Amino acid sequence: MKGNEAIGEGAVRAGCRYFFGYPITPQSELTHYLAKRLPEVGRLYMQAESEVASINMVYGASGAGARVMTSSSGPGISLMQEGLSYLAGAQLPCVVVNMMRGGPGLGNIAPSQADYFQATKGGGHGDYHLIVLAPNSVQELVDIMKKAFDLADRYRNPVMVMADGIMAQMMEPVELDDQYQIEIQPKPWAATGKVDHEGKNLINSCYVIPEEMESLNFILRDKYSEINKNEQVCEEYQLDGADIVLVAFGTASRICRAVVEKARAQGIPVGMIRPISLWPFPADFIGTAANRVKCFLSVEMNMGQMVEDVRLSVCGKAPVYHYGRFGGMVPTVRDVLEEVKKIYSGGAGQ
Amino acid sequence: MAQTSEILLSGTGGQGLLMAGLILADAVVRDGKNTVQTQSYGPEARGGASKAEVIISDGEIDFPKVTNPDVLLAMSQEAFTKYANKLDSGGILIIDSTYVKDVPETQVKVFAMPYSQMAKECLGKEMVANIMALGALAALTGVVSKESLQSALMSRIPRGTEDLNQRALELGWKTANQAAA
Repeated sequence: MKGNEAIGEGAVRAGCRYFFGYPITPQSELTHYLAKRLPEVGRLYMQAESEVASINMVYGASGAGARVMTSSSGPGISLMQEGLSYLAGAQLPCVVVNMMRGGPGLGNIAPSQADYFQATKGGGHGDYHLIVLAPNSVQELVDIMKKAFDLADRYRNPVMVMADGIMAQMMEPVELDDQYQIEIQPKPWAATGKVDHEGKNLINSCYVIPEEMESLNFILRDKYSEINKNEQVCEEYQLDGADIVLVAFGTASRICRAVVEKARAQGIPVGMIRPISLWPFPADFIGTAANRVKCFLSVEMNMGQMVEDVRLSVCGKAPVYHYGRFGGMVPTVRDVLEEVKKIYSGGAGQ
Repeated sequence: MAQTSEILLSGTGGQGLLMAGLILADAVVRDGKNTVQTQSYGPEARGGASKAEVIISDGEIDFPKVTNPDVLLAMSQEAFTKYANKLDSGGILIIDSTYVKDVPETQVKVFAMPYSQMAKECLGKEMVANIMALGALAALTGVVSKESLQSALMSRIPRGTEDLNQRALELGWKTANQAAA
């Protein structure tokens, strides 16, 4: 199954009822897949007139209590930032997929991870966070969609699933779970025309009085600290005895897994930590690992974005380096291995 | 270490290389192995040259793109010129000599057959040259079983073309045996 199709099928199986979106490479097969698949199961696919319209349609459907999603790539996701801030402010659950491509600007359609800052540090205005998940295989793309919708509903917060042009376009075998059960909890806050609730349900992010706005911000702050406590997820790979730990997500983590194998075969003790949740960042796990390793190398398809979070997590306990390729370029196993050797011979080996 | 093969299928848009890549990847899964299949897309795919990449392994596949192919199928001169130098030194080069005329001396094993011409003359349709070449590739490299390739092929072609495609596969398979003999 192709990565884009896997996300579509994962969304259908997660109970996604509405999709609003606008085509953009490298995620167009996802809209294509859902345009065919959603009506088959009696649900709605709508191609909006723009990304701005898409995200606001998502706001509407989510406000009415439905599982809803949109998807795009860098330039389109940028257009959605205002809407994402509104969704976060109105505490509306939804899933947004970003298949990152080379930028900035119109850029190109090659794979990239340069939207890390935009996704994890805001992107839109105001104090808010998206929950950000970064799968690294086509199987995980399917499986993570259920988790994304569940997290969105549980915390009433937008969730972003981030991958890149390679993951969108590549095909891998996928096992679909036919015993798959979804359980959607009631949403007593939704504006459903008083069918399910007493009194008035208002979906809103506009609080003219600062005291009231601050109250909402307190609620959001408590929610984010709960998410931060509960939802940090990462995977470790060959950390036992590792002096150098690579930190990488998505496509870069696949490359790093091969680097770890090759380096270990040459006697260099390397391991890897793969953040699966980018926000909340797995700071606790990395912070603990920092007590027993010599240094970290953050490998990213960008100029150095996640490396800042790695540094915050390590908190000065070990040096943190960065290796990246940008603008749609993908680092090769050989390049990263060279970098590892350079660091190893430069001190981490002693 | 896991046994891994990197296969690059290249030619011109319309020759069915992406289709061949899909069928190969599908067949590999039927053999119970792992595969990652990628293709060029967007403007790159509209520039004339077309390619499909298939990585096959009995272990996990980390890096999803082909860097140094073990097997290269080139069905156009342009694709040959672009990718031949990337071929691993112990690799296998399969060319459609209908379109690839200029082949410099090389260390790698070369199998040249006029697949497009043969498809046109023996089967009446040049468009199944991709399936012929795929049959030859499978027979020459052993990366996939004939049974799996056949069932993958049948599941991915339009209805009514089963006989034509089956004959193309058989013919391609046979050319490989001749070339190897």
